[in-house]
Amino acid sequence: MNVHTRRQFLRQLGLSAAALPFLPTLPSLAKSAADVKSQRIIFLFTPNGTIAPEFWPDETGPDFKLKRILTPLEAFKGRLMTLNGVCNKVRGDGDGHMRGISCLLTADELLPGNIQGGSDKPAGWARNISIDQEIRNFLQARPETATRFGSLELGVAVPNRADPWTREAYAGPNQPLAPLSDPYAMFDKLYGQIKDRENLGSVLDHVRDDLRTISAHVDPEEKALLDQHATFVREMEQDLQSAVTKNLLFPPPLLEPGVALDNDGIPKISTMQADLLVSAFANGMARVATLQYTSSVGQARMRWLDIHEEHHALSHEPDSNQEAQEKLVKINVWLCEQLAYLARKLDGIPEPGGEGTMLDNTTIVWTNELGKGNSHSLDNIPFVLVGGGLGFKTGQAMKFGGVTHNRLWLSIAHAFGHHLATFGHQRLSEGGALALS
Amino acid sequence: MSRSRHFLCFSLCLGGIARAQETPASGEAIYAKHCAECHGDKGQGVPDECEDPLQGDRPLTSLARYIDRKMPEDKPDEIDAEESQRVAEFIYGAFYSPEARAKTASRKLAFSRLTNRQFRESVADLLGSFGEAPAPGDGRGLKARYFQSDGMNKKTKMVFEREDVSLNFDFAENSPGNGISPDQFSIDWEGSLLAPATGWYEFKLSTPNGVRLYINGEREKGDGNQRDDSSAKRQPALIDAWVSSGNTVREISTRIFLLGGRSYPFRLDYFKFKEPSGSVRLDWKPPGAVWQVLAAPYLSPSATAHVAVVSSAFPPDDASEGYEQGTGISKAWLEAVTASASEVANEVVSRLPRLSEAKDGDPQRVEKLKQFVAMFAGRAFRRPLDEEQRKNLIDGVFTEGIGPEQAVKRAVLAILQSPRFLYPEVGSQKDDFTVATRLAQGAWDSLPDKQLLAAAGGGKLRTEDQVAAQARRMMSDPRTKVKLAGFFEHWLKLDMEADLLKDPESFPGFDVALVADLRRSLETFVERVVWSEKSDYRELMQADYLLLNDQLAKFYDVPMPDGGGFQKVNLDSAQRSGVVTHPYLLARLAHYKQTSPILRGVFITRNLLGGILKPPPKAISFEEGHFDPALTTREKVVQMTRNTSCMTCHETINPLGFSLENFDAVGRFRLTDNARPIDPESDFENFDGGRTHLRGPRDLAQQAIESVTARRGFVRQLFQAVIKQNPGVYGVGTLKRLETAFTVSGYNIRELLVAIDTLAALQGFREPDPSEP
Repeated sequence: MNVHTRRQFLRQLGLSAAALPFLPTLPSLAKSAADVKSQRIIFLFTPNGTIAPEFWPDETGPDFKLKRILTPLEAFKGRLMTLNGVCNKVRGDGDGHMRGISCLLTADELLPGNIQGGSDKPAGWARNISIDQEIRNFLQARPETATRFGSLELGVAVPNRADPWTREAYAGPNQPLAPLSDPYAMFDKLYGQIKDRENLGSVLDHVRDDLRTISAHVDPEEKALLDQHATFVREMEQDLQSAVTKNLLFPPPLLEPGVALDNDGIPKISTMQADLLVSAFANGMARVATLQYTSSVGQARMRWLDIHEEHHALSHEPDSNQEAQEKLVKINVWLCEQLAYLARKLDGIPEPGGEGTMLDNTTIVWTNELGKGNSHSLDNIPFVLVGGGLGFKTGQAMKFGGVTHNRLWLSIAHAFGHHLATFGHQRLSEGGALALS
Repeated sequence: MSRSRHFLCFSLCLGGIARAQETPASGEAIYAKHCAECHGDKGQGVPDECEDPLQGDRPLTSLARYIDRKMPEDKPDEIDAEESQRVAEFIYGAFYSPEARAKTASRKLAFSRLTNRQFRESVADLLGSFGEAPAPGDGRGLKARYFQSDGMNKKTKMVFEREDVSLNFDFAENSPGNGISPDQFSIDWEGSLLAPATGWYEFKLSTPNGVRLYINGEREKGDGNQRDDSSAKRQPALIDAWVSSGNTVREISTRIFLLGGRSYPFRLDYFKFKEPSGSVRLDWKPPGAVWQVLAAPYLSPSATAHVAVVSSAFPPDDASEGYEQGTGISKAWLEAVTASASEVANEVVSRLPRLSEAKDGDPQRVEKLKQFVAMFAGRAFRRPLDEEQRKNLIDGVFTEGIGPEQAVKRAVLAILQSPRFLYPEVGSQKDDFTVATRLAQGAWDSLPDKQLLAAAGGGKLRTEDQVAAQARRMMSDPRTKVKLAGFFEHWLKLDMEADLLKDPESFPGFDVALVADLRRSLETFVERVVWSEKSDYRELMQADYLLLNDQLAKFYDVPMPDGGGFQKVNLDSAQRSGVVTHPYLLARLAHYKQTSPILRGVFITRNLLGGILKPPPKAISFEEGHFDPALTTREKVVQMTRNTSCMTCHETINPLGFSLENFDAVGRFRLTDNARPIDPESDFENFDGGRTHLRGPRDLAQQAIESVTARRGFVRQLFQAVIKQNPGVYGVGTLKRLETAFTVSGYNIRELLVAIDTLAALQGFREPDPSEP
């Protein structure tokens, strides 16, 4: 525990912060289970495939060079691994984009349904739980790894509609989970109780002053009731003060107020969501998260990179369109920078009650709906793993030559001690976990 | 069920033991000798003897007769008729009568907080005052638009528009209408939902296709855009079942808290895309009702505005005197207020641009928000803020380092927790705004609207005519309708929570659905009478018809009504007479198998005839096995209550109950009980000091109309329910004056409410009436 930080934090909250009896208190996270290594995982989703020549290292093994798109991760080169040749081979109903996102973490076919893609047969929701939720349930079932939320589903500019193009996490078959794209709402979810207490504490003074002023000019019967009221207010204030915030190890992030939740707000939203995610992990609120940038067919216009076309539209351009390729590289570099920001943030915090930094105990899995945008290929999805959460052998570029991504999820589940024999589609699980350690 | 439990013995608390004495000279002396030992020297009661104070509403003649016949308890012969008259005069004038009590009683209004209902209503109207308030529409159905779809575009072409009355459609594999292909189409239903009661509403949506349900949302630009790939901003759906997975019917349930008597924006978007079959059905379960398809009259094609609904749970209000009062507070209540204030503060901040008209990016935004906060406080406190209050509030929340949204949030928290909001009459200031506050509380249980505040500000709430005119204007608002309906529900036991269950072997078909129809029948009857032009109390008592639907007509074996729904069915006027013979009430006031003349008699005494009964000294269970099986219910009751101490109350209760013996435990007319003819007749010592021969329900109704005690009792009950104060506080002659006006107006219930609201609003502003005793 970072004592200095905690003291600072308590000072910052001051006397007005505390707990109300009717608000459930925050769960204790001072479970300093130093003997058990904390393991966390973040699935980071970006859309529309990558530009392979600027992404995949030419070499295999520990001696490799990062290409342009991955250069933002240079500082973490020894703590990452690239996994070439891992493919989403799930087929069935639904177009490539639908399967690209909705079958990514679920690794099984979609249910038949009523949502019509470009050309393929219409489809519904995923028929399997997603791997993040599978791991979450595994961790929540054990008291030593259970947390307040288990998992957090965050989004950045995810379109405001629920369909198989916009959902990656599933609590079970036919049960999509909506990512929360509003950092202010996410803040409320994580820290709303504390803020409510602060606000309440600050207004109870007013209420008491008001009661005093009024009581001075009323008859005894009225005064008796108002005095009783004042007593209850005082008790409530005491409740607020005595509970203080002993449960929080790290202060909530300070969010810039008034950021517009639109396309142009994406860079700020991205940072805010990453800050919230890291602070939630640091405060032991969850061990699993998904962070979803837009959706499949993502249409962000990255004007802050001086790119004015929609991401998905650009991704349809042929390889020969140099200008489009260059823009797509820039887009992916920017997305990689977001990943790097998250990794730096995690690496900046000592592991609470443990060794090293939080990044040493967290793995970020960079995923994509597609391998390549203009062919809508689900092969060679640009998987990158960053961080030491799973005990994999990082610092290498790996090539698998066309294995199913079901097997990657098996490896990750096993790393958590969850020894599944198959995950998702039965046949696609054949061969078992990939050797990553 | 062979055993039923009920209360057997009531005491009017006139009992006592006295010693034989010489004839004393005065009533006071008689009292001291024969009565004070049990009743106390000032009628205050004596522990272990007669504990309740010697107070009541019987007229003097009735009191004298009663004493002559019954007192002293067990030895009524010790004082004769003349002595009884003298002691009655003393008791009556010294402490028994309302007038005597009023002389010593406080003339001060009980200081009260908002009741839970008043809190919720006030919040809804407070937020509602910052925006449009469309008049509620007719409950005739929803606006429906039917579209041809084409792939992702669900609205290629609107083919027809119509109104649909019910949300239950089974298209199977067919088209919903001409010009639309059966494989791809979409429909949107739009309008408002009319909530009949306050509480949790459950909804269940069943469909194999795609549906989104919106209730009480706020319009967004993307509403109605049904392209699959559109990200246009839509309001959040209450149920989002847009994606179907397989062509099986899915059931999705949810619940939502709504305030009764208000209308809520409603929208249902539906589409079918190449699935083999199409259907959609929306069921709902309003509070206290049964599952049913959502349909007219609860749906209207008119647009309406979002309502701010506080759903936090409150501890129940004190209802020990028969009506909800806010005279006490508890920590649990304060916590509920705080939780609600947080709920409202969050809603205000999330809707800030709409409520405050301060748009993001406006350079004047902070100024506008301060303005908004001051207006919000003024409306919540029911009077404009003075400069100092304004400054304290604004400076207190808009401080260094606090963002404007958080400042607004803190302001709302502070305002809703302020005693100025929670206690409508707090403080010494009594002025025109006090009158406006009382009118709004009386008519709506809520805050003054803009017209009332304007009238108060302009000094136009000074005369009785001005105030009555406002009270009359406010009557037409649906909120008054709901408030008044609440009174009648309580008065007629429609708000009892216990299930109304009967023995299925004795009464096949008397099931949950039938009970729901019965309730609806009585509610509808009362509503029609009260809101008819004459609003005549006598019709409530004497109507010789029932409002029945097919199911009820069949069960009660009367001619089927024409026209569907609840229709007037004329019945034998010798048999049925208004509410007292409504089968809901008759069934409610009966046991599982048998009737209960006692439950019925107690209800009639208290609710219809203005009598006051103290609770029985002990509860005795009614054991069927103790009686000769050949007896009728009437005979059993007579046998059970013949003890003198029982008869002090049961001489009133029993005859009233017996007069309804022609109705069985589910309210069906009958001529025999236990294979013996029924005798509904008895003599009844009425509360006006006379004796009445009761032959059946019509004579009961006659009593409720002709007895001045009965009319005053009705006025008192309505007054207490509406104003939540005791009428005595408003002066000795208050009930008498209101009752006289009520009778003169032709027993007009709505005019009575206007008179009550007006009188209460002007309390303390008028010179006392010199003609008062």
